Amino acid sequence: VDYVRSVDYLMYGLICVVLAPPAAVFRTLQWDTDPSALQLQADSELGRRMHRLGASKIVQIDFVPKELVTYTKETQTPSAAHQSEEEEEDEESSELKASPQTDQPEEEGEAEDSKEAHPRELTEEEREQILHSEDFLVFFERSVSVVERALAEEGDIFFDYSGRDLEDKEGDMQGGSNLSFNRVFHDDHWSKHRVVTCLDWSPQYPELMVASYNSNEDAPHEPDGIALVWNMKFKKTTPEYTFHCQSSVMSVGQIVLWDNRSHRRTPVQRTPLSAAAHTHPVYCVNVVGTQNANNLITVSTDGKMCSWSLDMLSQPQESMELVYNKSKPVAVTGMAFPAGDVNNYVVGSEEGMVYSASRHGSKAGIAEMFEGHQGPVTGISCHNAVGTVDFSHLFITSSFDWTVKLWSIKHNKPLYSFEDNADYVYDVSWSPVHPALFASVDGMGRLDLWNLNNDTEVPTASVTIEGACALNRVRWASGGREVAVGDSEGRVWIYDVGELAVPHPEDWSHFARTLVEIRANRGDGEEEGAVELPA
Amino acid sequence: IATFLGRKLQPRPQNEVEETLKRIQGQKGVQGIIIVNAEGIPIKTTLDNSSTVQYAGLIHQLVMKARSTVRDIDPQNDLTFLRVRSKKNEIMIAPDKDYFLIVIQNPSD
Repeated sequence: VDYVRSVDYLMYGLICVVLAPPAAVFRTLQWDTDPSALQLQADSELGRRMHRLGASKIVQIDFVPKELVTYTKETQTPSAAHQSEEEEEDEESSELKASPQTDQPEEEGEAEDSKEAHPRELTEEEREQILHSEDFLVFFERSVSVVERALAEEGDIFFDYSGRDLEDKEGDMQGGSNLSFNRVFHDDHWSKHRVVTCLDWSPQYPELMVASYNSNEDAPHEPDGIALVWNMKFKKTTPEYTFHCQSSVMSVGQIVLWDNRSHRRTPVQRTPLSAAAHTHPVYCVNVVGTQNANNLITVSTDGKMCSWSLDMLSQPQESMELVYNKSKPVAVTGMAFPAGDVNNYVVGSEEGMVYSASRHGSKAGIAEMFEGHQGPVTGISCHNAVGTVDFSHLFITSSFDWTVKLWSIKHNKPLYSFEDNADYVYDVSWSPVHPALFASVDGMGRLDLWNLNNDTEVPTASVTIEGACALNRVRWASGGREVAVGDSEGRVWIYDVGELAVPHPEDWSHFARTLVEIRANRGDGEEEGAVELPA
Repeated sequence: IATFLGRKLQPRPQNEVEETLKRIQGQKGVQGIIIVNAEGIPIKTTLDNSSTVQYAGLIHQLVMKARSTVRDIDPQNDLTFLRVRSKKNEIMIAPDKDYFLIVIQNPSD
């Protein structure tokens, strides 16, 4: 079963890059030559056939317009806007504007001088025709999107008080004032029965985030890979954009690129199925660089790292195999770049080891190994809150071994191990603004916020999300005031982080002291074999 | 090529139109949805006959007036959305060159 694994939100325009790991079944793909088709057709060994989209039977709500008394009034002066002279009449509430080409039906009962009576109505065929026309459908889609946003907004301007609670705030949803439930994004059609595989926030529009989902086992005819863009700003509960790709082609790891600017729902580019690219599931994707000069870096589970230019996904710009100590390649499960670094990065592996690596230079490839986890590494995050002290050498990892570990790139053993969880920890993420704050999520539905300046033994704030089974992904919004959490049921939960999220200038020096304490207390077990690594 | 905010639009397939209308109709406080064409003739509606016709005719006139107002003030401007808030409800109109989408909502429902 194939699914969408990871997604990254890029800067210009809005490009979602989605990766899909493979399925056991290799399926051939044929492109539908009809450019207006929204989905690809794929033959399948399992005999699954794509649904060809077409018109379905429509229930027509029919009516017969009443006989209307109408009149037309010609405009005096033709102009760009069809403006006509308004004459207020006492009995009339409004006047008809004539459009040059047709007559208009008028409100019954407001009889005026009736020059012509044209109760033009549409026949069944005419109506059908309109409803099927491309013009209409385009109008419909756009208008519906706008109206839905408007519908969700309430008439706040008329209230003296903001007594309206936007969302239900049940007791167990709260994590105290520090961590409070904001909303949940879920689409009955698209995200039900799908696991959230990745989340990312838009660097350009802070209220937008994209979530990728894997396939819906209950609905084999639905697309395998989908990505939904959700909008935090408006209260409407439906996604802004929906992207899908029939990733049944992804028997090997492929990368597909959707371009939101083109408003197509299917990918605009995809990488080839060739040995030059990835032949194994791609679990990590990262865009590094600036808005103008950037590269897409991808790593697959067979340890192959490729660097791509987004303009051309037909072949990677460079690729290398990540091998440690000249032995077998690393099965990479996660990758992270420290803030501002485009060359050096860290990866987590299935075996539980973490490695540092670099893209270029004399020692390109895997550099050091970091041992500590006893199970596959599920998430890895580099420190990126910029402040008075540089902590960019720090990174954190989460693992199946129920722990989160804090590392420095300078030591091959963990600086600290956080052991407050009782299940697989699925993801971990540093706050983008607070130097000592990170979030972690586990398989029991727990979202934890750790403020290391406050306590290193237990999370500073924690909430168990009711109704969520396992939490797969956690990502901070760019402002560091909200976290998005994806679960195994296709829901994306947005939590507001209160004062806890706001960094103070002394937090940096405080964290530096905290690190010193951590190192000092590092315990004998950790010290064995610890090696100071060359910078 | 139809564009909205500079993006080329891909039309939603027909069978989603029905579902979408049902979904909007089911949202909080929505009383009715009417789609009329540029001439003010209703194409689709969730209200009864007489209300539909009444709304269609009146709103069509209103949109024409609003549109011409906007254009008169600035010929390069154009009407994009119209909301009529009244004591009892709100009428939202998304006008286009060829069609209008009208949604009537009672926000306090």
